[in-house]
Amino acid sequence: MSPNAENPENWERQVKKGWLDLAILASLWHEKLYGLDILRRLEQQSDLILAEGTIYPILNRLKGDGLVDSKWVESETGHPRKYYWLTPAGRRSAAVMARYASGFLSQIQALIAPLLGKEEQ
Amino acid sequence: MNHSPRLQQKIDSYLMQLRRSLGELPPEEVSEILQEIRGHILERAESSGELTEERLVAILKALGKPEEIAPLYQAEVAVARARASLSPTVVLRGALRWAMVSVRGFLLFVLGLIGYGIALGFIVGAIGKMIAPDKFGAWLGPGNFTIGTNDNPANHEVLGWWLIPVGLTVGTVFLVGTTRVLRWALKFARIRPMIGAR
Repeated sequence: MSPNAENPENWERQVKKGWLDLAILASLWHEKLYGLDILRRLEQQSDLILAEGTIYPILNRLKGDGLVDSKWVESETGHPRKYYWLTPAGRRSAAVMARYASGFLSQIQALIAPLLGKEEQ
Repeated sequence: MNHSPRLQQKIDSYLMQLRRSLGELPPEEVSEILQEIRGHILERAESSGELTEERLVAILKALGKPEEIAPLYQAEVAVARARASLSPTVVLRGALRWAMVSVRGFLLFVLGLIGYGIALGFIVGAIGKMIAPDKFGAWLGPGNFTIGTNDNPANHEVLGWWLIPVGLTVGTVFLVGTTRVLRWALKFARIRPMIGAR
């Protein structure tokens, strides 16, 4: 009995949720960004974002976990922006997660290769 | 940037609703969250040139409903607070937040209730023995053990006055132990976004 069989969209949503933390940390690897910056980056490079508002509580949690830090910065637009960056602990965590994710993805790729082959025939 | 009063009102009402849904959080946290979300809306609006009502509706829709975003903050804040607290109510509330979004959280919450329930039973029994020694006691009967008052003649009292030191000690051990177990388990609480694209 699998709910996923009837509802592949639900499965897709679960998968996306699982990757969001790493994707957010990865977007901050090179520079400080504010929330909308992170969203734009994820939009350009991935299909992970479901509802934009969810990114803010996640950033809040990552901050609570000590993986990112934040600061309000005045901007020329008239309203301040809250910039986020990786803490040293966040950098370490992100690197560990990235290594794990990369190994994990290649295993999955090998596992599902036959399925994709079958579809192409 | 100036929007028509109608659009401004729409933005304000979205933020008001979010504020209402965030109710439980400390005020300074609420105002910071609102400032961040307001910035998001305004900046999205500015980047679209002329802001039309249609465009604003789309921005708010992409953001998600306030009543769906707010619980994500509460869950994370409640869990974070519980992990740093020694108070049973705060810790149990953290577990409850987690329980609302995951089966594991639910099991932990039930475990917490049982642990605190046992602690309360022993402590109330010990205090009861001090106040009404002839009514309160620890009772042993065929296949059951109760603490409190007894009206079943098949049960006989065990412990006697020892219920006071034993009850206070066991009660405290369960109180502290349950708090420690909950705090430890909450380390593994990961509350994921519950809303998705519809």
